[in-house]
This record gives sequence, structure tokens and C-alpha cells, in this order.
Amino acid sequence: MDASQALAELTELSSQVKRAVVLDASGAILGATDADAAAAEELAQAALDLVGAAGDVHASPDEVARVEVELAAGGLFVLREGGLTIAATTGPRPTSGLVAYDLRTCLRAIDPPARKGRRGARARTGEGEE
Amino acid sequence: MRRLFRLALVVALAVWAWRSLLRERGPRERASVAYADGSSLVLEPGSAGFERLAAPARRVLVP
Repeated sequence: MDASQALAELTELSSQVKRAVVLDASGAILGATDADAAAAEELAQAALDLVGAAGDVHASPDEVARVEVELAAGGLFVLREGGLTIAATTGPRPTSGLVAYDLRTCLRAIDPPARKGRRGARARTGEGEE
Repeated sequence: MRRLFRLALVVALAVWAWRSLLRERGPRERASVAYADGSSLVLEPGSAGFERLAAPARRVLVP
């Protein structure tokens, strides 16, 4: 299935995920739950910034596999696998393991041919992933 | 019988008070990162990298 279908399935199955976006290796948006393109871009940019910051804390951004930030207002999860990145927001006090499992399942459901950007490429921090 | 009832009441109140004291107060805030090499780290508010990770999240979480 393509990214939009996988995201639709994700929001249907997960009661915790509010918004989500899938990016390809170049940072281009493959699909988003937001109908508003600006809101999807904002979430995508936050995900890329988060991965960049997480890479700075440890090594390089390309080695970051998962980032979770829990705040009083909710949670932001970013998961990277197979050249794809998925970012999702949740409400306060999310069940981290369950959200990560749902996001990973969503990424794995996306067919390889669908892993090409549709909404224009975006400069991404830390090029060079597989 | 009355003594037994009082004892049960005292025990129930003690359990309730203990659980109230142990209950997590306030919202939990933290950031965790897992890396491809299997390593991971957890950052709590006040730690060096927490604000760097929290800033992008606040942009999309806080209206």
C-alpha cells in the first residue's frame, strides 16, 4: 500500500496517534494525515529538526533510529527504518512502546515503489542513509 | 466486630494515603533517543540536551 493508505490505517487502528507524516530518505513528504499541507510541512520539519538534534547529542543524524519527546502537551515520536521516516504526535502520557510498534507497522506496510516523494524534495540534515 | 471494622477502615485509609504520596505528581516530561547501533539515552528536563529535543516538539505540540 502507499503511504497515505498506511497512514489512514494507522490513525484508524491507533487511538493515541493524532497526526502523522511519512518522509522518504530525501526528506520529501510521502503522505500525511493532515489535509492542510502547511501543517504537514510543519510536522515534517519538526521531525527533521528533532532527528538532527538527536544526532548532535550522540553521533551523526543518520544513526538515529527513534526519538520520543514527551511533554505536558503531548508526545512527538519519530521513527526511521528502511530509508523512511515517520513522525507522529500523540496526546499527553502516551504508551511509548505501543505507539512505536504502531509506527513501525505503518512503515513496514508501505510498498517500496511508494517510497518516492510526491510533494517535492526537502533538504535534510545528514544525507547518506542507505 | 466494631473493632474489626475500625481496623479495616484505618488500613484502607493508610493504603489510600500511601498511594497518594507515591503517585507521580505533575506532567511527566522526558526525551529518549535510540540509535542504529543499539545504544539509547534518556534525557530529563534540566539535562543538557533535553531543551534541544523539546524545542522542535513544542512547535507542533503546543498551540
